[in-house]
Amino acid sequence: MILSARGLQVRYGAITAVRGVDIDVAEGEIVALLGANGAGKSTIARAIAGLLPFQGEIVYKDQKLRPNDAERNVRRGIVLVPEGRGILGRMTVEENLAMGIYTRADKSQAIADLKRMQERFPILGQRRHNAASLLSGGEQQLLATARALLSKPRLLLLDEPSLGLAPQATAYLFGVIAETRAEGLSVLLVEQKARQTLKVADRAYLLETGRVVTSGPAQKLIEDPAVSDAFLGGHG
Amino acid sequence: MSTYYASLFAEAGILLLGALSVYIILATGQLSLGNAAFMAIGAYLSSYLTVELGMPITPALIVSAIAAGTIGVIVGFPALRLKGIYLAMATLGFGEMIRSFFINFPAMGGSGGFHGMAHISVGYIWAWAGGILVVLILVERSRVWLEMQAVHDDETAAGLVGLNTVAIKVGAFGIGAAVAAISGGLFAHHHVYIEPANFGFERSIDFVLATILGGSTLGLGSLIGAILLVFLPEFLRPIADWRLAAFGTLLILVLLVRRQGIVDRTLLRGLTFRKAAS
Repeated sequence: MILSARGLQVRYGAITAVRGVDIDVAEGEIVALLGANGAGKSTIARAIAGLLPFQGEIVYKDQKLRPNDAERNVRRGIVLVPEGRGILGRMTVEENLAMGIYTRADKSQAIADLKRMQERFPILGQRRHNAASLLSGGEQQLLATARALLSKPRLLLLDEPSLGLAPQATAYLFGVIAETRAEGLSVLLVEQKARQTLKVADRAYLLETGRVVTSGPAQKLIEDPAVSDAFLGGHG
Repeated sequence: MSTYYASLFAEAGILLLGALSVYIILATGQLSLGNAAFMAIGAYLSSYLTVELGMPITPALIVSAIAAGTIGVIVGFPALRLKGIYLAMATLGFGEMIRSFFINFPAMGGSGGFHGMAHISVGYIWAWAGGILVVLILVERSRVWLEMQAVHDDETAAGLVGLNTVAIKVGAFGIGAAVAAISGGLFAHHHVYIEPANFGFERSIDFVLATILGGSTLGLGSLIGAILLVFLPEFLRPIADWRLAAFGTLLILVLLVRRQGIVDRTLLRGLTFRKAAS
């Protein structure tokens, strides 16, 4: 396992948002966290990224992670694309991408990757001199994902990447996420669009009010009528 | 150059450094209303070093800048917990605290002030002001500035790409304080007399105003702001008692039309393009 969380608990003051959750992510696996608003999905991703204090244990590559240690976690290879994308609006697209290679030691390779990323996502290449705030929602999400990929993560945490995107942009983005499997990257995907997410994920955890209510292989969950009724809006 | 204009140019150079000290801190998204305090530290310390210890002015300024920079770093840590208006209020409190300290510090003259410094020329002031501005313009093209901009735009996102946001914010406070201290040292040696009243709230506001008016997204903006703030009230002298009211009106109008200040990247790019085209 690249990541194991045991008894993970996160509180916001008096409110417990995550209650003793166990999660595993294997090397090269896409794991989805699904659930309604307030289920605790984003909180789990933010705790793993090191943005929140937590109780319990998170082990990444045999190393125990400390709470509130985001900068070090990035250097370890854990990269979060937060909800709302976290792009740097006043900077150009190119400058945003350059921030992605900030932690990399292999600078010449990183610069080559920067150019390759603009070829992989041509819209980013075409708009490289534009302020990032001028991009559309879909383009901003693509930029945030590309920036995260440039930092060569071993574990990519994507928090609601399809939020506010048009269906076409969402489909393209999920295609990009599926491609990461071929690159050997592990992905923890936090989403509300359950059916679409289960199609790209290997496994999934379904959450309700801070607890895992069920988990298993994505295909099995799609076919489970109880899961389908509760989380996927019935058969379809 | 007449003594009158020399004096105005000297004031503009000193104000430029004060404005740059605010600009550097503002570049990381922190607003300081207490930079007159760092200016006071620079003014008093450099004066003590030159008058009491006989140190030449240049090393005295450097020592003062290092001392104020260290204090700036110390102030920068608690400032990390504050944002926006709360940070502005805290820095304002720090400014008043330092001013009160010098009022009650008899070794440096207390409220009676301190004198005995050797006078420095306008050229010397502008050598510092111009030199620091040029260095800052070069830094604006560097990775360090990109990091500062990232922290300004979205601190969480900056942390998520692996930037040490604490070091960047605290470092900006330290460098800003050092630049303000140099401004203070030059002020003291230009006026050859200082008192705590020279470093009050109004001074900090002048620094912020020059930065915001000239353009808070470019170092060059502070230059424009400082020159306008010093020279415009003088050019408005023909309207006698109304000049400050007219100056205030002009300020409001400029900020209404250009919230980002007179100079910004877009304007600069436009000017460069036009120059290249012609």
